[in-house]
Amino acid sequence: MMSRLIKGSEPRIIYLLLGLVITVPVLSHAVLPVPVTKTTRDVYDFIERLPADSLVVLSFDYSTSTVPELHPQAIVVTQHLFTRPLKVLFLAQWTDGPALTDAVLDSIDKGDKRYGVDYATLGYIPNTATLIGMTTDIRQFFPVDTMATPTDTLSVIKQYPAAKETSLVLTFAAGEPGLSAYLQYWQARLNIPVAVGSTAISAPGFMPFYNSGQIVGILISMRAAAEYETLINQIGISGATPAMMAQSMSHILIVIMVVFGNVAYLARRRQSKEAAK
Amino acid sequence: MTRAELLLQVLIFSLGFFYALVYYVRVTEPVDLQAVSDQLFAYLTSMLTAAFAIGIINLTRIHWGNVKGRRPAWKYSLVLLVCMYGMAVASMIASPFAVDPQNVVIPASLVSLVDPIWEFLYYKVLVSVNATIFSLLAFFIASAAYRAFKARSLESSILLVAGLLVVIGQAPIADLIWPGFSSIRDWIMAYPNTAGQRGIIIGAALGILAFSVRRMIRYPWGR
Repeated sequence: MMSRLIKGSEPRIIYLLLGLVITVPVLSHAVLPVPVTKTTRDVYDFIERLPADSLVVLSFDYSTSTVPELHPQAIVVTQHLFTRPLKVLFLAQWTDGPALTDAVLDSIDKGDKRYGVDYATLGYIPNTATLIGMTTDIRQFFPVDTMATPTDTLSVIKQYPAAKETSLVLTFAAGEPGLSAYLQYWQARLNIPVAVGSTAISAPGFMPFYNSGQIVGILISMRAAAEYETLINQIGISGATPAMMAQSMSHILIVIMVVFGNVAYLARRRQSKEAAK
Repeated sequence: MTRAELLLQVLIFSLGFFYALVYYVRVTEPVDLQAVSDQLFAYLTSMLTAAFAIGIINLTRIHWGNVKGRRPAWKYSLVLLVCMYGMAVASMIASPFAVDPQNVVIPASLVSLVDPIWEFLYYKVLVSVNATIFSLLAFFIASAAYRAFKARSLESSILLVAGLLVVIGQAPIADLIWPGFSSIRDWIMAYPNTAGQRGIIIGAALGILAFSVRRMIRYPWGR
């Protein structure tokens, strides 16, 4: 078994070890302090600096498969927005978005925020045309909200009839359609600030836009949700902080396994060279 | 080239040229070209809706054929059809996608009956199953990293070290071990990664541009 592990043909030991380092920390409820990274703090600071009554658009551009990474981010950011005197519109470029928006709204403390006055769920954006069109007239492209209430009766829409007045759009993007549509049509054309909540695998691709200032901040994977919990002082609200010990242990295990694999590989290579002599 | 092909080619060229012009040049007189462009985009909605319908019809034809003819794995086709239409009907009656959320046509009693079923199917089955499958990637990635991530050459060694430093730096526990891990991760992400990503983005954009121009002017393939 051990020799097969060294040769890399025995993945079951890796699966077992990884299973253990994930399950044990989760069951032990161990909590790690999570240092806040700059990309996350930039999103938080931007929201904190928004003047009262500013319009923020949250776009749920992910499906059920990326819920473990992006849903905690959506929960903490929505909770943060609901503690500030801001107006929030919920959109979705993915068909699962409206249902996931409802799940987020069910899991946060809404305080004194009222539907239609402080926030509204507009639902699914079928294509880029809607995204472009709603910058000039929301009611034309969303005649009703997700509960079939005419949008022209919602006071938040009366206050902001066009999305071009948006002070920040934050897309929780698992892929396309996601960030690029907002960058091309909202940020480049109308100079609307954009932030993104991304999976760990997508984050490197978003870094050029962050470094050029086209994105105000990036929330990277479930870790960013844990960092955000620290920033809004609501540890555990999204379940991200308790998961950080398991994430840390699994990363450390992968590093150890890769180092072990390379030591074994170099030893085998040396042996075969010596045998060839 | 037949007349139909020529017409199609003229249409492709005109639309491609029009969108490029509108994107780079603002024309408001005598016609606001931006508004025309936005309106044309709006027609996409109906086209995409038709594409959805074609997809559903196609899936139904193929899988109903499998079930009817008792072809190999016909049971999976049956599961697919039941799940697709079951979820669609439940969603249309009770969900954020409901066709009659104010209960004008569909009785409220039916909605209250279907709503918990839809919620169970969506939040307890679909979310859990999809999240589980996505999370299983961690096991495959760990196994693949162990087997494939080897220092075989100088380039692969650089990639290996950079990858390991980012993996460590992304774990919150790394800051407790040594705060420098985060700084190294941030540097790798901000400089080498950004440089590489910019190259990929610009290269891909130029490729798309070249492909689009070739398509617009019908430049022969293979030259």
